[in-house]
Amino acid sequence: MAIVTESQRSITRAEVHQTITRQSKHLPSLALGVTLLIAVSFTLLTLFALLARIVTQAIPALTEKGSGFLTDTIGSEASKVGIWPGLFGSFGIGLGVLIIAVPLGVGAAIYLEEYAKQNALTRFIVVNIRNLAGVPAVIYGVLGLIIFVGWLKPVTNGGTVIAAALTLAILVLPVVIITSMEAIRAVPLGLRDAGYGIGASRWEVTRDHVIPYAMPGILTGTVLALARALGEAAPLIMIGAITGLLPETSLSGKFTAIPMLIYSWSGRPDSGDSNVGWSNAAAAAGLVLLVLVLAFNIVGILLRNHFEAKRVGS
Amino acid sequence: MNGLLAVADLRGDPRRRAHDRRMRRLLGGSALVTIVISALILFVLARGTLDFLRSIGWDFGILRDLNKAPGWFPRRERFDLLTIFTGSVIMGMIAMLVAVPLGLGTAVYLSEFAPSKVRKILKPIVEVLAGIPSVIVGYFALKFIAPNIVNPIFSPDQPRNMLVSGLAIGVLVVPIMASISEDALRAVPSSLREASYGIGARKSTTTIRIVIPAAVSGIVAAFIIATSRAIGETMVAAMAGGRDGSGPRTLNPLEPGLTMTAAMTNAAGGTDQVNAGAPFQVLFFVGLLLFMMTMTLNVIGDRFVQRVRQQY
Amino acid sequence: MKLKQWSLLAALTVTLPLAACGGDDGASSTSDAPATSEAPSTSDGGSVFVTGSSTVEPISIKVGELAGTAEGGNLKVTVEGPGTGDGFKKFCAGDGDITGASRAIKEEEATLCADAGIEYIELAVAIDGLTVATSPANTAIECLDKAALYALIGPESEGFSSWADANAIAGELGSAYATLPDAPLSIYGPGEESGTYDSFVEFAFKSISEDRGTDMVTRADYTASPNDNVIVDGIESADTSLGWVGYAYYKAEEARMKAIAIADKEGACVLPTDETIADGSYPFSRTLYIYVNKAKAVENPAIAAYVDLYLSAQGGEQVSAAGYVQLDSAKQQLSVDAWTARG
Repeated sequence: MAIVTESQRSITRAEVHQTITRQSKHLPSLALGVTLLIAVSFTLLTLFALLARIVTQAIPALTEKGSGFLTDTIGSEASKVGIWPGLFGSFGIGLGVLIIAVPLGVGAAIYLEEYAKQNALTRFIVVNIRNLAGVPAVIYGVLGLIIFVGWLKPVTNGGTVIAAALTLAILVLPVVIITSMEAIRAVPLGLRDAGYGIGASRWEVTRDHVIPYAMPGILTGTVLALARALGEAAPLIMIGAITGLLPETSLSGKFTAIPMLIYSWSGRPDSGDSNVGWSNAAAAAGLVLLVLVLAFNIVGILLRNHFEAKRVGS
Repeated sequence: MNGLLAVADLRGDPRRRAHDRRMRRLLGGSALVTIVISALILFVLARGTLDFLRSIGWDFGILRDLNKAPGWFPRRERFDLLTIFTGSVIMGMIAMLVAVPLGLGTAVYLSEFAPSKVRKILKPIVEVLAGIPSVIVGYFALKFIAPNIVNPIFSPDQPRNMLVSGLAIGVLVVPIMASISEDALRAVPSSLREASYGIGARKSTTTIRIVIPAAVSGIVAAFIIATSRAIGETMVAAMAGGRDGSGPRTLNPLEPGLTMTAAMTNAAGGTDQVNAGAPFQVLFFVGLLLFMMTMTLNVIGDRFVQRVRQQY
Repeated sequence: MKLKQWSLLAALTVTLPLAACGGDDGASSTSDAPATSEAPSTSDGGSVFVTGSSTVEPISIKVGELAGTAEGGNLKVTVEGPGTGDGFKKFCAGDGDITGASRAIKEEEATLCADAGIEYIELAVAIDGLTVATSPANTAIECLDKAALYALIGPESEGFSSWADANAIAGELGSAYATLPDAPLSIYGPGEESGTYDSFVEFAFKSISEDRGTDMVTRADYTASPNDNVIVDGIESADTSLGWVGYAYYKAEEARMKAIAIADKEGACVLPTDETIADGSYPFSRTLYIYVNKAKAVENPAIAAYVDLYLSAQGGEQVSAAGYVQLDSAKQQLSVDAWTARG
């Protein structure tokens, strides 16, 4: 270090100046920088390779089928299949998440942030929600198989879109709650105090001020939850989605979903003579799923960034 | 209105208060649903586990296969837990060998080195990676990692093996590792960095000696939570692990392997509940073990996250 | 308890309207009660649900596609393929109109059906040869007999990691192939849920197991997969692999596997081909079946229409298209007779 002590009087001003300002070629710094850049580029490269592989593999199937890929049903030939039943099932699942997980999750978040006393029960509920968020998807599949396919058969009619939607709604519920709680927590206290000051009840303040203010954050959570639900396949294997032939789609009949089709198709052999094999069909289905999921994710991320920027500004 | 204000007036309209109470109960109910869900998960798993143990006559010896070639053969009623446990652990370890350097490196770069313009682009990209469904990463494992990376380098016997599956699970958990560690690194107060620069330390010294140690509990949390995800990952292991029903115990990552999660999906196999008996019921037993393993990891990880929050 | 009411209420209020719209969209089974859900709807050809063997699944899918698109065809056929054994379990629990099987129904499965009061008709639909295969790189093995297969894959072979390990048992059984090379042995095949597994055990081990008093099973330590593609990958990739798959899969992936000829009773090696399978000279050929739920077939004309198509000449073409061998006309006639005589 360049601290000048009695014994080092011989160091000149110029030398000190040079020590402080020179562009250092310090080896450890360089090594750290290079290491980090390698890590980052590997991460980016992986993402790029993944997207490139999906897109290039998807092109033959999509050019062969065109929009028919979205509207045709599944079947026995890779070059002729479409993903309509999968789209229908995934749409049903998304709808179920919107109808079940969002109201339930936002309600729970409002209760925990606005109503609940800071006591042991509340703390337990919050810890429990954090745990639920980390439970593997396959375990939610077990729950779905026993409860929604088994116990609630009169309501769900067995392994149907309804059972799948309920299962995935429960799977993403913790995501909705946690993001909504964060959004509600970020609402300035003054807003609430102002409401109470003019005699509004807790619910009135919540409904008229807290929820509207926290809305972008809640929307972010909703969108991320939707994306997660659309991409999950493990619970659907447990519930029993169809991958053979499914000419009719209904909420109360047999079902399938896009991730299940990708799973099943990518395990089938590519016959050599056709230019569209099962791996192309699987990639094309994967591309559709990616576009859906990434669109939801990007909307979610943009919403959140917008929301954060606004918060800092205010 | 007449100028006199009674206490009753201050309490407001009884109808409004009643409505408020109703909403309180309704919202409280939705919060309690989460407890019900946990209780149901535990109940379903515990009940199934009991059924399973009854089916095998409480013979815990079955859970350790002592035959000449030990392995997980549920349809033969040979439930060697060690097989699926080591499968999960090996693939989890490979995954973390990918996720720690890439995830932590990305986090440190984003938090300490990246100019704000780069950060603005890079961070959403990492988040996009986090949103990619695992079934697509499974496809990527089968059609890219296996033929283009693992095969040319290691030329394993089987295109689907624990290495391929572990690498792909690693890709899946990189964003988790990156985002939790980055949160922890950014939570380190800049006063610490400034103090370090103030005594003449370089950026690299500051990062390695000051910032990373200060954020270590958050980084440990990231590691634990990412490990929990890796162990709980199902689709990649089922698609690329190479064994989806049964198989011998092996420690060689270039051989196919079976995880706890893949063993579960195979036991259920979409056959509803008609497939009774131990080979089906073992699903609940493995599920309970997996639930307890991931929950322990999550609770510990969460503790570390809370510690970061409290510190700064 | 209050908690439970909440969750149930939440679930019910949300799902009931959904279930109701499900019923409204006409094309589907209209009732929530599964027992009556097979009632034929008037506007279209009706619905059929086929479960069972993944070996029969490709035929059922092709016939199902035909039933949906052929002239005058407007049937809605849903097909899944969890496996012969799992298929029977579902079928005998009343789930599924038809189940495919790559072997005849077992006694305990028939009991299961009888206990549930489910009557069925067994119809042979195609012939499949079970192909024993190795990697194309394996030039040492061209032909094996049952004794050698028993020694390599049978219940007494557990732990064998080299082909040569099997020589002792093969020799004991008087196999002509007891001089197997010392090369790593890695085995791939379908799991026990599969009819292809049952057929293999039946063909290769039955007589020997009975003589030796062993269980009629394979060794446990082989790579079992319900996904035929995983088996094919395995056989192709390991240089001295051994495995077995349905003939249709072998035919579709001929370049990636080498079929091993099977010695017949006279010791002559027979390779699986369309001809040797159809005329029965290939020792490992088996009949594929569909089992039709009688009561449901009476109730739902769509099932009858589908089975009619299955047994027609057009259905036979689908058998070939799926890679299997058609029944000869006498056997085909037996199936048609059994079906028309259903009463």
